[in-house]
Amino acid sequence: MPDAAFQLSRAPVVAGPPGRRRPPRLVPVLERRQKVSDWERVSVYIGSLVFATLLSVLIIATFGVAPADLAREIGAVVFSSPRAFASVLAQTAPFAIAGLATAIAFRARFWNIGLEGQMIFGAICASVVALYDVGPEMVRLPLMALAAATGGMLWIAGPGALKLRLGVNEVITTLLLNYIAFNVLLHLLYGAWQDPVSRFPHTELFEDAEKLSPLGWQNLTWALPIVGVLTLVLWWIFSVSRVGYLIDVLRSNPQMAFAMGVPVTALSIGAILASGAVGGLTGFVISAGIEGRMTQDFFTGYLFSGILIAFLGRNHPLGVAFFAFFMAVLVLVGQSLQIFFQIPFALTQLIQALFIVCVAASEFFLTYRLHWRGAV
Amino acid sequence: MDFLVNWLLSTPAFAVPFALAALGIIVTEKAGVLNLGAEGFMLVGAVAGVGAMLAGVGPFLALACSALAGVGLGIVFALMVAGLRINHVIAGLILVFGAHGLTSFVATVNGWTNQSISGLEPIVLGQDALVFLTPLLVLGTIFTLEKTRFGLSLRAVGENPGAADAAGFDPTTYRYAAILIGGALLGLAGGYLTVAVTRIWVDGVVGGRGWIAVALVIFARWYPWRALLGAVLFGCIEALIPRVAATGVEVPRYFLQMTPYLATLAVMIWSAARGRSGWAQPQALGTHYVREDRT
Repeated sequence: MPDAAFQLSRAPVVAGPPGRRRPPRLVPVLERRQKVSDWERVSVYIGSLVFATLLSVLIIATFGVAPADLAREIGAVVFSSPRAFASVLAQTAPFAIAGLATAIAFRARFWNIGLEGQMIFGAICASVVALYDVGPEMVRLPLMALAAATGGMLWIAGPGALKLRLGVNEVITTLLLNYIAFNVLLHLLYGAWQDPVSRFPHTELFEDAEKLSPLGWQNLTWALPIVGVLTLVLWWIFSVSRVGYLIDVLRSNPQMAFAMGVPVTALSIGAILASGAVGGLTGFVISAGIEGRMTQDFFTGYLFSGILIAFLGRNHPLGVAFFAFFMAVLVLVGQSLQIFFQIPFALTQLIQALFIVCVAASEFFLTYRLHWRGAV
Repeated sequence: MDFLVNWLLSTPAFAVPFALAALGIIVTEKAGVLNLGAEGFMLVGAVAGVGAMLAGVGPFLALACSALAGVGLGIVFALMVAGLRINHVIAGLILVFGAHGLTSFVATVNGWTNQSISGLEPIVLGQDALVFLTPLLVLGTIFTLEKTRFGLSLRAVGENPGAADAAGFDPTTYRYAAILIGGALLGLAGGYLTVAVTRIWVDGVVGGRGWIAVALVIFARWYPWRALLGAVLFGCIEALIPRVAATGVEVPRYFLQMTPYLATLAVMIWSAARGRSGWAQPQALGTHYVREDRT
């Protein structure tokens, strides 16, 4: 008798006195959304960014910077003069290339957390070319870039091979190699490469032929156009070419990709090495394009910024470029708040983490619909 | 001889943070939550320990504060991973970098950086109380995981959350519990590092020890007692660095400082090359469980 069974199951388990009945305990029920339109995706994504921005403004306000002051500060940092805007663009270039290096690996399901190690080793290789005057001056810069890319590739080749051959977790290996690269750098900067004049732990200044030359507008160098071209090339590879399509297949389902005859190993090796090469170039862009020498902290913060930019830009080269600009504004505003309001720069790092949390959390609300239901 | 005695006596202080951290990671991962945030938990514990000491409380209360700070960060991690189902790798990385920012910010605002503290006093043979407490904690964890109903259901959630759910154990609740307990142990590990070993806070004082502990757990195949052995091994390596430097043997200083990381890499390659790398790994490690997604 199904009807009776239904009645039975609906009957209250304990029939207490009416006055003592508590409201039922509520439990969350997740319902997977069957269809999510592009419009919903975009609006939730933007909503999460707006939410993160509001939270950040609130946090900064609790440390004594009123929103109006903050807005004035942002205006001053970005738009007050062509010079200010150029500074933001100059900072965008290294962020964009760091984001690209991370995004390439993430696209092929390789968690490259070793950007700083690749930057250091790339910059070391480039500095070898610069300091020992390898090759004629005409081709010195291309040689340095080539050396940097090779160095980055060498530095990622180990974790890549271990991952593909033995299944060793690449998050840990790439990360540990950062510490090793940093110690190699310190060994050089406190030893053979120490500045012979000032005795500070950085190399002597590169010669003019070993630095990216100025563009002729404000303080911008050729770093920006180079990164721009790289962004477009990667956009073409990932969004237009066949290779990009195959990498998308590989990312969504490696087993199926393999079964369909996609050259999974070759694509993985290519993406991993490309990520390392771009990581090495990041070190080159900073040491030859911004600092003009090797210092002991030129790489600081780029690892997380790279991950953040790649994540917010959805591993898409154009998204990466956009969020690199955003990060440049954030960091420069953070520096200016440090100077004028004595807010520690670490707050900027916290705000970066806040943004990535909000965007990552928004995925949940796109995937599931949350109901509250009385517990049975 | 002196060298050997000094080396062995200074080993436990270096081994304890690794052992406690590995224990915390094992508890978390036994419930199927990939814990790459270990470094972040340790940082938070470390700064809390220093802050409490500078506020004038005793070392044991300071260590309790460290564990509490770990629990606090654990709530955040649990909300991200078990609540909002954020990818475990991403959530762990956010935790590490967020904790870097948070601890550096808190220490700067309160002026805790570079302030030396009195620290934990040794009781026997130059060893402090936590050195003796750590093996007991390992035993307690083994007992809880192997012999109690709670431990069995926690491991069930890590192996097959669907089956655990059908048996009446809510995987989400168990994952929250595992993350909070693991967070407390990791916070304690970080607190021990500053309260008993370095006795000072500088930004990023943990220096990758959390990551080494993550590798240690893979090496130990999620067995707590093997993790303890691994921790002693790494404690020996770390304790060797100042000893070698003190003997005046000409070894480049920065190459010496690399040894823990190189040893970790070697250990990871060794455990992978032995094959069956996924053998002891909790089967549901790093996956989400949503009851309504059952097929």
